[in-house]
Amino acid sequence: MTAGPILADGDLLAITEQIWASYLDLDGASPFVPLSSAEPALDVHASVSVTGAWRGHILVTCSMGAARNVAGALLGIDLDDVTPEDVSDAVGELANIIGGNVKSLMPEPSALSLPVVLVDGNVGFPSAIEVGSLVGEWLGEPIAVQVLESTAEKDK
Amino acid sequence: MLALVIDDSRAIRMILGRILANLGFEVREAGNGKEALDVLAAAETVPRVALVDWNMPEMNGLEFVGAVREDPKYRSMALMMVTTESEQSQIVRALAAGAHEYVIKPFTPDAIEEKLALLGVLTNGAAQ
Repeated sequence: MTAGPILADGDLLAITEQIWASYLDLDGASPFVPLSSAEPALDVHASVSVTGAWRGHILVTCSMGAARNVAGALLGIDLDDVTPEDVSDAVGELANIIGGNVKSLMPEPSALSLPVVLVDGNVGFPSAIEVGSLVGEWLGEPIAVQVLESTAEKDK
Repeated sequence: MLALVIDDSRAIRMILGRILANLGFEVREAGNGKEALDVLAAAETVPRVALVDWNMPEMNGLEFVGAVREDPKYRSMALMMVTTESEQSQIVRALAAGAHEYVIKPFTPDAIEEKLALLGVLTNGAAQ
């Protein structure tokens, strides 16, 4: 579907750092820390899909601890008060914003789906290949972002 | 001065609500366009501004903008899209449908305040 890499090195990190600076780390004291490798954290999955001139998925996976930290920070509430609904809402919105910004780097026109959030489940996109990824941690908890390009057309 | 925040994410509603409250607005919330129309119908006064997400269930932001633009009762309400949709064609569609301003997520409080100032909705007491 594409002639070469669409995402440049550093695109995902730049997007993620912008989100952290806007919502999660306003004073710059607790930045997202990129890592060269990390243990997969599969507690919470949030994804959005893009259809159109580019087709694929943007997937955010993180530990429950990270998800609760994101929810607490976005909602401005104590971690003790974070509910499962808050976790779904916050990590879903994180995937939505990352996905929207990734979409802006892809061929147009395309459409972004609403986020889908799964806790303690297994998310798979069998007809897709990874074209970008970012692993890191925030407040000591793992968070990863994957950009998956659909290969369904190629498979035909 | 009343402001309406329309987003299916509670987190974004709270973030925008805090920004608007700090600017002196009384804030109402809705989780999609249909809910927002219900909030408008029940409100005693027309909000000075509505901040509208694009991708929402039931009724999306573009449909909401179109609906309120058809109703002269809401002519005084400024409409600002706050969304991850950043394609030029999408922005043009929103503005053609009747949105007055466009902010792409992620946003900062300063960006929201700047756009509200451009809309002229901070000059009548909301920010004082």
